[in-house]
Amino acid sequence: MTAVDETPTGDRSPTMDFDVYVHDSMDGSNAAWDALRERCPVVWSPLNGGHWTVAGYDDVATVFRDWETFSSERTDPERSSVSIGAAKMPLLIPEEIDPPRWKPLRRVLAEILSPNAVERLRPRVEHWVTHTIDQFIERGEAELAHDLSVPVPSLVTMEWLGWPAEEAASAASVFHDMAKFPGGTPEHAAGAARFQWLMGEVSKQLVARRNHPRDDALTAIARYEVDGELLPQEIAEAIVFMTIGGGVDTTTALTSAALVHLGLHPGDRQRLIDDPGLIDSATEEFLRYYPPARTHARTVTTDTEFGGCPMHAGDRVLVSEVAANRDPAAFPDPDSFDLERFPNRHVSFGVGIHRCPGSHLARLEFKTSIREVLRRLPDFVLDVDGVVEYPNWSVIGGWGSIPVTFTPGPRS
Amino acid sequence: MRISVDTEACTGHALCFGIAPDVFVLDELGYNVTPAGEVAPELEEQARRGALSCPEMAITIEE
Repeated sequence: MTAVDETPTGDRSPTMDFDVYVHDSMDGSNAAWDALRERCPVVWSPLNGGHWTVAGYDDVATVFRDWETFSSERTDPERSSVSIGAAKMPLLIPEEIDPPRWKPLRRVLAEILSPNAVERLRPRVEHWVTHTIDQFIERGEAELAHDLSVPVPSLVTMEWLGWPAEEAASAASVFHDMAKFPGGTPEHAAGAARFQWLMGEVSKQLVARRNHPRDDALTAIARYEVDGELLPQEIAEAIVFMTIGGGVDTTTALTSAALVHLGLHPGDRQRLIDDPGLIDSATEEFLRYYPPARTHARTVTTDTEFGGCPMHAGDRVLVSEVAANRDPAAFPDPDSFDLERFPNRHVSFGVGIHRCPGSHLARLEFKTSIREVLRRLPDFVLDVDGVVEYPNWSVIGGWGSIPVTFTPGPRS
Repeated sequence: MRISVDTEACTGHALCFGIAPDVFVLDELGYNVTPAGEVAPELEEQARRGALSCPEMAITIEE
């Protein structure tokens, strides 16, 4: 993924050689973003193709909200407009599209992921969390990334889409496998090959649903009409891809973060066990402290001055959720994890029109998973030396391995 | 106390409703459609916390 090409800076200043792709641990990434925000909240880096970075809370929120100046629209057919990087990425809709075309395409997901639609999924989320914990609860040991935080969002999301059950877990874990292993390793290559397979399957499933509708999200997308016309096939594929690519490994990462945190901080764990009503504010604090999506990107549409810096049409802008969430101007004592922090207007789901449409489902999956872990294996002991972080924390942060032991319990 | 919602700024996070379900009204997609108006005294604390939770700062409270 690393592509440290120097790009001429022209009149862009201030400048700093800030390489987001060297961030290989959570602590390292947090420290680098804190240092950048304190020294230069808006700065040009000539590395990785050249881009501005925006790190302060107010500036990050402004960039997210001002879609007319800071566009998400895809400009390179092969490369993401919403992340900085050299890797090829399939189109994500509605994230990589701006108004006016954005509105009806966003509505597809807004309808099938609305608070009411997600509430109707609650029994299925509870079923999959219970089923998943049942698979390891009698053993007294587990690797909670592989055994819980990967399968739950995968199974829920793929069942909601209407994916064949036998393929659900392996299809949705593609993103985790690619994030868990560094580029260049055989495991990463295997993930990339399955990624290609998944894209082909998404296409086939959509065609099948057009002709043979079922009661599932794939059908809702395949048969969605805008002005009396079905969505073009590539747009429908990009929407499905958004739900898997945007919704699965991010929820995995948040769940993993909380499991590691609760393993390292028994006081926080006990408070959540004693007072389960804290889960709502705790969830927002887990989101603030451990944003699964660490950064996004935008493209400047028109020459403008922002944060005192001269930005030019076409300039890329790297926006840091993690830096915003750790900005002391917005969050008093940002380095302290406070289960009851309020208000807690973190930007982990983004703000503005492109905010995550899957946030309601993500919160439900997360809260259900944590509640059931604390109910069924409340005494789990984290094998701290066995914890493995993702190798790169530039775009998505997460964990590859979370080994624990606990008092065995009965299946449900 | 009086509340008003900037419906243009609301992007459907629905956190206000989670905190203050007796104050705020969402549409079918989860966007805040609460009409501007007075808040009953017993709901003022809920309204205040709901407004503070909004990531878009779309809810205004006049005490």
